[in-house]
Amino acid sequence: MQTNPAKTPLDRSQDAKALQELKLRAIAVRRFLLNLGFEKGIRLHYGAMLSIVEILVLLYDRWLRLDPQKPEWEERDRFVLSKGHAAPALYAALAFAGFFGIGEFASFRTLGSRLQGHPDRNKTPGVDCSTGSLGQGFPVACGMALSSKIDQGNCRVYACLSDGECNEGSIWEAALIASNLGLDRLIAIVDWNKKSSYGSMKNRNDVEPLLEKWEAFNWATYECDGHDYLSLSAALSRAESTKGKPSVLLCHTVKGKGIPWAEGTDTRSNFQLEKKHYEEALAALDGSEKEIRHESA
Amino acid sequence: MKAPSEELTAAYGAALVELGKHNDRVIVLDADIADSCRTEEFRKAFPERSFDLGVAEQSLPTVGAGLALCGKIPFCNTFAVFAATRGLDMIRQSVCYNRANVKIVAHAAGQSMGYTGPSHHTLEDIAALRALPYMTILSPCDGVEVRAMLPVMAGLDGPVYLRLTRATVPTIHAGDYRFKVGQTERLADGQDLTLFATGDLVHMAMAARDALGREGIAARVVDVPCLKPLADEEIIKHGEDTGAAITIEDHSIFGGLGSIVSETYAAALCKPVVRIGIPDIFTESDEYQKLRAKAGISVEAITGAARQLLAKIRRRTTMT
Repeated sequence: MQTNPAKTPLDRSQDAKALQELKLRAIAVRRFLLNLGFEKGIRLHYGAMLSIVEILVLLYDRWLRLDPQKPEWEERDRFVLSKGHAAPALYAALAFAGFFGIGEFASFRTLGSRLQGHPDRNKTPGVDCSTGSLGQGFPVACGMALSSKIDQGNCRVYACLSDGECNEGSIWEAALIASNLGLDRLIAIVDWNKKSSYGSMKNRNDVEPLLEKWEAFNWATYECDGHDYLSLSAALSRAESTKGKPSVLLCHTVKGKGIPWAEGTDTRSNFQLEKKHYEEALAALDGSEKEIRHESA
Repeated sequence: MKAPSEELTAAYGAALVELGKHNDRVIVLDADIADSCRTEEFRKAFPERSFDLGVAEQSLPTVGAGLALCGKIPFCNTFAVFAATRGLDMIRQSVCYNRANVKIVAHAAGQSMGYTGPSHHTLEDIAALRALPYMTILSPCDGVEVRAMLPVMAGLDGPVYLRLTRATVPTIHAGDYRFKVGQTERLADGQDLTLFATGDLVHMAMAARDALGREGIAARVVDVPCLKPLADEEIIKHGEDTGAAITIEDHSIFGGLGSIVSETYAAALCKPVVRIGIPDIFTESDEYQKLRAKAGISVEAITGAARQLLAKIRRRTTMT
């Protein structure tokens, strides 16, 4: 239950236990996603899913005002996964937060399932907006933030988009609208992994300098490490206290984080995991888990 | 006595203010043409519920969807050509697939922007939007129908596309007219053929009926204010006791009212349908009336089509 989360930055020493739990949760989510794809023998956007695991875990375990028992609670914060192809990561975050059971994944992407290939708000408890067509979730989030501004309520709206998605013109059209309307209840979270579906964006579909672009659109910008809870929570906290304009977190991330082969290769986002890469990734996660448990021992 | 006339957009602007008085969830979104869309009165009355997004037509449906998903009832205003075709992807993905309670008000539809030319004429909006699940498509024929539609639109929990033409039209409906989603309205009776018309062309259908009457042809006139949802039965109940149908619309002959009626006639009535509308062309600049006439949308075109159609039926009957 997070109907009244503190929304304060995490502190390395005071929040040591919470930090450890969050880190272990990220490992559990990554392991779960690897197993999901490998056991079903399907292609998944591992690249896009694994770069936002810490972002999702922090939001759903600690930050968002929500009640998994009442997914439609009107005063909840809203989260829009504008980069909808990372849906399985969102589903995992929702399941771990208690919106539905892990058993739900048995039907994933099959007829009658509540878990579609991309998020469907009419089917999945906890999903606030159906997405999948890049460049659309973010403007919908702008509309949600406008609603919150009209109501003068507590609802904040968080939209996760990717740097590749910033190729879409609709992102910048909406970015202008959000700053013109002064939507300070809106926080965009950019998964800045420097790769789009086809590989590196450099010298191809480059969006750099990205931070300066958002600044030029009159947004408050906060650069952070998207895999580090201390950095992420500090940036979120600063964004929440920004008045009069929307905020964007530019999160440095690694595409495919947790699969050593994908991290080090200019691979595509969407692929079927080979056995050797899967086993290598699980071993790396096991190693990370040991380290985390050892750190706090 | 000449019937009073009313500009459809002006009727909309006034009805929107009335709606705003009774429903504080109604929000108005504009895209830099509030003057053309007659939403300025609403802005004056409810500045805290009126927002101009600027020249940003693809954001109208998406920002509208966000408002709707948080309980508001957004009325998104721009010219039909931008609302429906620029916004089509957003209407599909973010409005209809989300089942968001967004009202798209499409102004100056068809060729009614006249002189501004083909870039501003909307020939394909009904065709495109008809195929979207959950979408309701409305096309009023006079100011009375506009006023009757607005509260119904607001009360309907789902996407609605309101197609307005920039036209001043004679008032057809009585003041106590009640609009219901999915219903058609028989305006005048006749046994020889049925004229199905929508929007500002309903009064043209009435004029054609008068002209046909003088030639001894009895035409029935049906106003189709709701193009979707529209059950086959609604078409059949008007078409079963007349020999043929003519459809009249300021829209492409592909996918609009003509197609809707033809589908039912082919499947359930096996009777001929002639579609009067814009042929497979890009239009050009001129006065609305002249553009319609060039496209073959006129009283003369309707009466000519009726004569040919009835002659063909008579020949067929004689041969059998």
